[in-house]
Amino acid sequence: MDLRRIARIVDTALERIAGASDLAELSVIDTEVVGRRSQISMARRGIGALDPSKRKDAGRAINQAIQSLEEAIEQRRVTLEIEAEDLLLEQDRVDVTLPYGRPPRGTHHLLTVTMNEVCDIFRCIGYQVAEGPELELAWYNFDALNTPPTHPSRFESDTMYVESADAETRSGADELLLRTQTSPMQARFMEKHPPPVYVVVPGRVFRTDTWDATHSPVFHQIEGLAVDSDITFGDLKGTLAYFAKEFFGEQTRTRFVPHFFPFTEPSAEMLVWFNGEWLEMLGCGMVDPNVFEAVGYDPAEVTGFAFGMGVERLAMVKHSIRDIRHFYENDLRVLGQFR
Amino acid sequence: MKVPIGWLSDFLDLPTRDPHELERILVSLGHEVESIEEFVPSFEGVIVGQVEEVGPHPAADRIRFCRVYDGSLTRDVVCGAWNFEAGAVIAYARVGSRLGIDKERPVEVGSRAIRGVVSHGMIASARELGLGDDHEGILVLDELGAAGPEDVGRPLEEVLELSDVVLDVSITPNRADCMGIRGLAREMAAYWQIPLRDVSPAATPGRSDADFDVSIEDAEACPRFVAHQIDGVRVGPSPLWMQLRLLAIGQRPISNVVDVSNYVMWELGHPIHTFDADAITDRHIIIRRATDGETLETLDGAERTLVQGDILVTDPSGPIALAGVMGGASTEVSGETTNILVEAANWHPPSILFTSHRLGLRSEASSRFERGVDPNLSALANARTVELIVATAGGVPRARVVDAYPARVTPWGIPLTAGDVTRLLGPHPSFGEGLALLHRLGFGVIRNGGSAEVTVPTFRSDVTRPADLAEEIARLHGYDRYPDLVRHGTSGKLTPVQSATRRLREVLVGAGLTEAQTLSFLGQADLDALRLPDDDPRRVGLRVKNPLRDEEAILRTTLLPGLVSAAARNVARGVKGVRLFETGRVFHPYPDRDDPRIPHQPMRLGITLAGEGVDVFAGTGLIDLLVRVTGHRLGVVQDRLPVLHPGRGATVVRDGSPIGMVGELHPGLARRFGLDGRVVVAELELDPLVSVAEDWKLDEVSAYPPLVFDLAFVTREETPAARLLDTVQASAGRHLERLELFDEFRGGAIPAGHRSLAVRVILRAMDHTLSDEEARPILRRIVAEVSSEVGAVLRGST
Repeated sequence: MDLRRIARIVDTALERIAGASDLAELSVIDTEVVGRRSQISMARRGIGALDPSKRKDAGRAINQAIQSLEEAIEQRRVTLEIEAEDLLLEQDRVDVTLPYGRPPRGTHHLLTVTMNEVCDIFRCIGYQVAEGPELELAWYNFDALNTPPTHPSRFESDTMYVESADAETRSGADELLLRTQTSPMQARFMEKHPPPVYVVVPGRVFRTDTWDATHSPVFHQIEGLAVDSDITFGDLKGTLAYFAKEFFGEQTRTRFVPHFFPFTEPSAEMLVWFNGEWLEMLGCGMVDPNVFEAVGYDPAEVTGFAFGMGVERLAMVKHSIRDIRHFYENDLRVLGQFR
Repeated sequence: MKVPIGWLSDFLDLPTRDPHELERILVSLGHEVESIEEFVPSFEGVIVGQVEEVGPHPAADRIRFCRVYDGSLTRDVVCGAWNFEAGAVIAYARVGSRLGIDKERPVEVGSRAIRGVVSHGMIASARELGLGDDHEGILVLDELGAAGPEDVGRPLEEVLELSDVVLDVSITPNRADCMGIRGLAREMAAYWQIPLRDVSPAATPGRSDADFDVSIEDAEACPRFVAHQIDGVRVGPSPLWMQLRLLAIGQRPISNVVDVSNYVMWELGHPIHTFDADAITDRHIIIRRATDGETLETLDGAERTLVQGDILVTDPSGPIALAGVMGGASTEVSGETTNILVEAANWHPPSILFTSHRLGLRSEASSRFERGVDPNLSALANARTVELIVATAGGVPRARVVDAYPARVTPWGIPLTAGDVTRLLGPHPSFGEGLALLHRLGFGVIRNGGSAEVTVPTFRSDVTRPADLAEEIARLHGYDRYPDLVRHGTSGKLTPVQSATRRLREVLVGAGLTEAQTLSFLGQADLDALRLPDDDPRRVGLRVKNPLRDEEAILRTTLLPGLVSAAARNVARGVKGVRLFETGRVFHPYPDRDDPRIPHQPMRLGITLAGEGVDVFAGTGLIDLLVRVTGHRLGVVQDRLPVLHPGRGATVVRDGSPIGMVGELHPGLARRFGLDGRVVVAELELDPLVSVAEDWKLDEVSAYPPLVFDLAFVTREETPAARLLDTVQASAGRHLERLELFDEFRGGAIPAGHRSLAVRVILRAMDHTLSDEEARPILRRIVAEVSSEVGAVLRGST
């Protein structure tokens, strides 16, 4: 057996290996070129018949040949396996833009989102969150808030009153009504907690308003109250200006102008410069001494500020919503846009 | 309050007439400007002309032929009016001018032949120009003192100064003094520190005839009543300048007497009433409260039935006016009236509010009395009215003014310390500066070191305490000049219940539900539709006394009607797959636990699912999700419940107590709402779901492999799967890691009325690999317990 013949066998075999077009063919070739009946195996078995001086060289050459063929086969196998899988994967292709398998998508109501956002802004500067009853005593909604018994806001044209089993024994401050503002919680909270007080109160409120684009008999407010030994008008302004920047953006400008509320003195309205105009955004003021007296605080010891804002109004301004009815229609095409 | 800038400048030399600058100042003083309107005339192209000749029309008796000079040419014009002669300065609507441009169909004036004579344009009346109702004749400008020959050729709107700017100012309820132009002028004079040019009605001459007697029976009802008679008045149109000012503020000119009353009310903020003096019986006026059932015909012709709280102006024959609200028909000033009684009275504000609201008669006058008019303004207002009536309607005022003033109001003092101001406003402005600001606003100030005695003018009835004075200082100082200090509180942590509520909403949203907000009201029809049994607490809702609509008459006792209606509306609008939830309060008539003075109003969680593939298990699956979120042991117990499908509903329990229900809406009920197919609803009390569980602690997990066994039990149909699972759970012992029900099977070898339920039991030990030998007795125990407790046997074992 001469080495040239071995080389020829190897060359022929390598050619066949390289030409194997799939794994099955390669398997056949594998058997044929390195199997027991392959020429090279026959050659190895023929080594014993060689002249002893040539056996060593021939043996090494044959082993090398076998090794190189096995390596070539293995390499080819890996290549063919990859090709085969590639083919399979190609067949496994799908149109991934098909809208299958999307998890159901729910949304929070924008009023919840807005109330949480406002509360969180105040929580970041150390204000608690509290909630109060919607069906309220006239005392908390009006009397404790320095609203005279003859004030027009008490008329049935503004306030919804509620019948009760003990109606005949209820009158004046004991009357049941649907709170017209979140402010009653000011009085309730101060009754239960000694100063200092730092709290915001989100919640649902009610007015005798017929539906139109900006009025709804049901809407939401967020009340705020800060009472301490040394609060001044500057604290009110700065805190609410901070809120406006956090809510509407860092560049937001605010302006405070005098206003009137029975339960604050001095009273103010905060205007926010938004989309090229000054918008009335919330009412506020220094807590009226009569309110402190109504809840058992000493107006000589404490001062404080209070504010109230409409949640729908905030959301409408921020998200370009023109009709308040969108909040209560519960049309999923609208709710689904809330984020 | 409409404020024409021209009118405002009667009272002060305005440093600026720029409406936006005026707006800025008014707003900074607390007077919100709602709009800035230009008073636009309703005509275009009309000029001042002069009649050169006037003569008969050749072919008609009732109209005349005129030659009108327009400043450059003299034109032929035919005119039907007779109230002018040659030389009259008139409003000439030339060819091409337009009238009524504020109306739907403006008229363009042209040349037109009238009985054979071509008229080039027309001579206009006040009504044609939109300057009042007068259509008796044409507008004779020189007679009215509104224009002269020197104005001929100029645009009419320019000569009449019609293009005034009107600020619409919203006056807060505490500022009765600003319900007149003079009051706002006083604010602005204080702002600019310039003098106020006040009205000073000339002293009235007169004869000393018998006067009116005025008796005030209730001084609280009527603190002051000022009356003055004018004799020989000629009721007719008011002068053009007055009509124009009234038009500018949206008031329709009526007659000189009425217009003057209105004019004085807008100017001074004090309402005025006028009576036909001769219609008052016995020249005696008695002010008293009404008695129930008394009646009065008001000047709108309506018969009003009165109640005790109403205040009446009466004479010995009975009521003649509803004080502060509306005059009576019997004493109304008419075209024939010659002797009038001018009344400037002061009325008890809450009574006026009561009466005007009760009768739905809210007017400009009542809105002023409701706020509280300064009684010390009444004499001035009366004198001003008399002055203007005499000037516009003639007549002679009587010598004596009747002034009944039983409840005299004098300025009051407020002791003010520097500390009162700084504790509300901080250190700036200084006390001295603050007092100077008060002085500018009309307050009397006597300073004594760190304190002062401040005297409040009676037109500021809203100022009674140091805090009120602080506001006055801050207002004039300018709110913008105070520093912005961010006030930090003490703790912003949510309570555990608040956190749990937020988490609950987030999980439901994550599970694909959308949060709804439905109204807090129901109608009786909504409740009836639910077909609740008599003893169901949801049947009894609290009623709103003054609901807007029948559908909003009852406070909701359940969230379901609102949510199901919302679902139905969405389905009707073509939305597929409706998954809604809401957290909100319901209301019950019994006392609240926390505050027994008010009714119970707990929070609820409501869920509604509708659309393809929805069934009861979508609902119970959500309950299972809530178990995992809240950490509470919730369970569902199959039940026949109102509102629900009898075979597909359950009570939800927490630790054995019911907290709500879940199931498919009864199909009959679903159809009533307009929904076909299965609709899943759930309603749960929220408090038990978000109440604070103990802090959870981590369960260690095992590092050893599990053993998994599947066991199929044959049970009777009526045996709930939950019972089987509970029994397996209870009997498996401490190595049970997980238990799943993975198959339900009927038929084959399973006897009728039975089903096979297959459970997978996963056992794993914490500290070693569990062996089959250890597992065998566990499985035997499970099978034995299930057999004895549930009556189910292992499948294939019989």
